[in-house]
Amino acid sequence: MSTTEIAARAGAVSVQDVRKFYQRDSMQIKVLDGLSLEVPEGEFLALMGPSGSGKTTLLNLIAGIDRATSGRVVVAGTYLGSLSEGELAKWRSRNVGFIFQFYNLIPVLNAVENVELPLLLTSLSGRERRERALTALRIVGLADRSKHYPRQLSGGQEQRVAIARAIVTDPKVLVADEPTGDLDSQSAEEILDLIQTFNRDFGKTIIMVTHDPRAAARAHTQRHLEKGVLTA
Amino acid sequence: MKFAPLILKHLRKNWIRTLSTVLAMSVCIFLFCTLQTVVEAVNFGLHSGNASRLVTRHYVSLVYNLPLNYKAKIAGIPGIKQTVMNAWFGGIYRDPKNFFANFATEPEAFLQIFPEVILPPDQKERWLHDQRGCIIGRKLAQRFGWKVGDTFELESSIPPYRIGHPFDFVVDGIYDSSQQSFDLNSMYFNYKYLYEATGRNIGIGWLTEQIDDPSHAGAISKAIDAEFENTDTPTKTETEQAFLAGFVAMAGNLALLLNGIGLAVAFTILLVTANTMSIAVRERQQEIGVLKTLGFSSGLVMSLILIEALLIAALGGLVGLLLSKGMLGILPEVPMIGDVVAQYPSFGLSARTALLGVGFALLLGVAAGFLPAMNGYRTRITETLRQV
Ligand SMILES: Nc1ncnc2c1ncn2[C@@H]1O[C@H](COP(=O)(O)OP(=O)(O)O)[C@@H](O)[C@H]1O
Ligand SMILES: [Mg+2]
Repeated sequence: MSTTEIAARAGAVSVQDVRKFYQRDSMQIKVLDGLSLEVPEGEFLALMGPSGSGKTTLLNLIAGIDRATSGRVVVAGTYLGSLSEGELAKWRSRNVGFIFQFYNLIPVLNAVENVELPLLLTSLSGRERRERALTALRIVGLADRSKHYPRQLSGGQEQRVAIARAIVTDPKVLVADEPTGDLDSQSAEEILDLIQTFNRDFGKTIIMVTHDPRAAARAHTQRHLEKGVLTA
Repeated sequence: MKFAPLILKHLRKNWIRTLSTVLAMSVCIFLFCTLQTVVEAVNFGLHSGNASRLVTRHYVSLVYNLPLNYKAKIAGIPGIKQTVMNAWFGGIYRDPKNFFANFATEPEAFLQIFPEVILPPDQKERWLHDQRGCIIGRKLAQRFGWKVGDTFELESSIPPYRIGHPFDFVVDGIYDSSQQSFDLNSMYFNYKYLYEATGRNIGIGWLTEQIDDPSHAGAISKAIDAEFENTDTPTKTETEQAFLAGFVAMAGNLALLLNGIGLAVAFTILLVTANTMSIAVRERQQEIGVLKTLGFSSGLVMSLILIEALLIAALGGLVGLLLSKGMLGILPEVPMIGDVVAQYPSFGLSARTALLGVGFALLLGVAAGFLPAMNGYRTRITETLRQV
């Protein structure tokens, strides 16, 4: 299979010779310098590397929340460079789920409302939205906490709500940026179990940044990023 | 609106801030509507023509007539635009208990000097060309069930006007008034009719003059009375509502002052609301980053912020309207101010002013929310969600 064919597959990710530079005053910071990465559909990839090596930057490019300075990023069959800001936002809402290190739930909304957020951008009725959000909460084991606010939940529970929010629109690709970085080992195990389930049972393509070797061990493949270059 | 919970919960979470901003806005709209209504009433008094009308009568009493040639003499005095002769007729319709005021006047001059008398054009045309015709107020018409074209007779009760020979009249028009103070229970008919019917030996009851500048009312009154001072029939001239003369100059300044206050308050509220909104948006940088990550477009994020500002404004506007309505309800009872605003027909919060008030509130909301909303529009995900 050629690169483009792989990229055309719904859940696949193809990063081709991508550069990402930041301009800081007169200095140019080269975060990624000619990086290429192929992730087949249904893959579970762990991305490791020291702090500042460009892991989050790469994840942002794949998730379509940032743009490469040059090179091609093709995700779920779409060349992201060809989309306008608005199209990119719409694309994100349908194709990628995000899991952050610090959960990033909206504090004024309760669990089910947080999970429902991405569905507000669809044409689903209020009842359908609520049903789906509750289903997602059930999948992550928090059906009984649907009315709880983020401050009433533990870190592990918050992250599970965040995962429910990430999968509620049923995207093909999940990106997770140090999803267990802020959790105790017990909660971390639960979160990793969940992520693994989504890969194994629901066929999601998963790209997970992590520092934790035990987390990385759950993945099919591990890649190491150092100073903007994949080393292994 | 499926985004309502998000907006409402933000407003509720910071309820102290929301409440104080809503109250500030309501004070602004309260002032705006109240001042607007008072200024309108004041301006109305200014332009109602009352201050630009003088009444000249016999120096001793209204029961003594003035000579007919006084009209021409007064018309020649500088500053006089128009004069109309009037006479009290005192006609009785069938029975003294049916009393209503009825006057002889000069139709054309009368309608010019009293623009508040509203008569459909065809009825006006009819009256101007019908010496036996009369116009009656809307309430009088209702009282006796009279319609245009009806005829009735009045028996004169005043000696010079041929007692025992009733005068017959045709209803040529039914008038309304743009001013509450103008009586709708009266009847006006052609002076010429009375003059001819009495064998041309009656005089003028009183004269109403329209002058070109209300602020000259005092001087012109004096000039008129001076003209006849040393005659057999001296006159007494005064403004229709004498106090208005002094009031005219003041009213302009008052309107300016009130509008100035209103504007200053509005500007302050604009700053307060804009500040509230920008704090709200700054506090929510991370949330905005999350929403955008989830696929909320920049335009949608911007709209949500604007709607939040508009909601505060609308709420404040509504409360302000209620406060204003209450205030305007008690204002006519207040000494001094009550007298001033009472001239205005149906003084109170008009639908137009209420609409203006709400519109003004929304305008303030948009103005206050615009920069924060732009800020939200421009927020970049990677800047707000960067983890250290
Ligand atoms: N918006 C930005 N502006 C300037 N420099 C940035 C920006 N985002 C990231 N960087 C820089 O890019 C490098 C890689 O950052 P990042 O991708 O967050 O690394 P990691 O996630 O591997 O710790 C760092 O040196 C960081 O300072
Ligand atoms: Mg990072």
